[in-house]
Amino acid sequence: MENYEINQRNFEEEFTISPNGFLFDHVSGLTYTLNKTGLFILRRIGEKKNASEIVMEITEKFEVSQERANVDFQEFLVQAKEFGVL
Amino acid sequence: MTVQKEYYEKPIIVRHTVGLTNKFGRNPASTPMKMIDGYQISKLIENFGSPLYVVSEATLKRKYKDLKRAFESRYPNVQISYSFKTNYLSGICAVLQNEGAFAEVVSIFEYEIAQRLNFKGDKIIFNGPDKSKSSLELAVANKSVINVDSFEEIYLLEEIAKERNEEIEIGVRLNMELNYPPWSRFGFNYENGQAYEAIKRAELNGLLKVVGLMVHAGTYVDDVQVYQKMALKYVEFYRIIHERLGITLKYLDIGGGFATINTLHQSWLPATQTCPGFDDYAEAICPILLNGITQLGVNPPKLFMEPGRALVDEAMHLITSVISTKRLSTGEKGIVVDAGINLLSSNQWYRYEMQVTQECGTMVENTNVYGNLCMNIDILRNAVPLPSLRRGDSIIIKNVGAYNFSQSLQFIQFRPAIVMIRFDGKVELIRKREDTNYLLQLESVPQDLKK
Repeated sequence: MENYEINQRNFEEEFTISPNGFLFDHVSGLTYTLNKTGLFILRRIGEKKNASEIVMEITEKFEVSQERANVDFQEFLVQAKEFGVL
Repeated sequence: MTVQKEYYEKPIIVRHTVGLTNKFGRNPASTPMKMIDGYQISKLIENFGSPLYVVSEATLKRKYKDLKRAFESRYPNVQISYSFKTNYLSGICAVLQNEGAFAEVVSIFEYEIAQRLNFKGDKIIFNGPDKSKSSLELAVANKSVINVDSFEEIYLLEEIAKERNEEIEIGVRLNMELNYPPWSRFGFNYENGQAYEAIKRAELNGLLKVVGLMVHAGTYVDDVQVYQKMALKYVEFYRIIHERLGITLKYLDIGGGFATINTLHQSWLPATQTCPGFDDYAEAICPILLNGITQLGVNPPKLFMEPGRALVDEAMHLITSVISTKRLSTGEKGIVVDAGINLLSSNQWYRYEMQVTQECGTMVENTNVYGNLCMNIDILRNAVPLPSLRRGDSIIIKNVGAYNFSQSLQFIQFRPAIVMIRFDGKVELIRKREDTNYLLQLESVPQDLKK
């Protein structure tokens, strides 16, 4: 699996993420809500993990196939990029 | 030892936007509707397939009884006549027939449905702009209520009266300025005197006797003042024809047009908050008619009404299943379901309420719901707040009873089965799913082209 291409922002400085999925973007002032899977992914992107690692971790933690996790992960990236979070 | 993994939800991120708060106390969009009348929707799909129209007999009966009570408590002689064109599934018509409804039909096809259901001839009201001579002969022979729409129908009925050598009782359809747009193409105009002339003409030769008047205000009329206006004009017109032509009416027919809890696209407020109740309509109509007509010194004629939408809209739902999910280039979320706009023609008017039928997580995202027709226009609704759905999950499109079945098109796909959840909780198939044999039975290929 190829890694995702993102213009990655500095997560520590630019975002505040609460444990229940509330995300505040200090740069734009916008706020977001993530569900637990979305939060799980965003934290790992912040840790600079690659796509394969993230998908693997999803399948280890959640009851989901690798194929489904991969499709959903890619879709999540599209949405997060559209919002300017990534 | 195996580790118990956590339940998986599709990952979602939702941007917060400044908008209106939910001040109407509606359920969150992620709350599933798992049952209809106590019957599991998942079982319905398992037994009858998807998509599936589901009719609720209990709702039909409740709506009929509510309407009847609202008017009968305010007017002495009321008769509900179900507008067949709204949904002429025989099962639905039969439920309302058993409640006491007459049949209101506007074509020979609908007339024959009523006959097959054993409606007595005098319990059929024959309306509409297209009545052939043969259909009028049938209606006259059966002593059905006939509301004439045009001078041509008056001439045809005079011919029939001559041939039968008997006087025929008729009603005359009027149109009047009530709301916008005016329904001026049906019947005879009240304001310009055409209606008065039509009644004079009908009685001219002693072959026809005018015993009723009929007006239909429009469709989805959610302003009860429209009906107040109608009642006032009815009283005034009755006074004129009673005093000048000596006519005493057996019935006044107020048509239909009552609104339902489905919200129109152009409405800001949800119709659940704005739709008048049956009591509001009855209160707008009955006191004016009763007081006005009593002052004329005649007995109040029978009050016919011809509801369709108000009886069946909330009594039928469409269940459809997700085929695929999409993330569009615009970032919008989309799902493709196995029912198309050919099954939901009224989505051009209504912002239909859609709800999941199983747990799908609590995060909600605006989702475009696309049908399964291979056509770009096949959009059931844009921006429906829905949780994340997967292939095989189903959603319910609620309150689709009015016009969607009777205007449904066979196009690309078969039209689905229709079941009725009976009053006692049993489920009965009232229309089979179409198949190729059924659809092609009227066709033939020229002999020389056959392979």
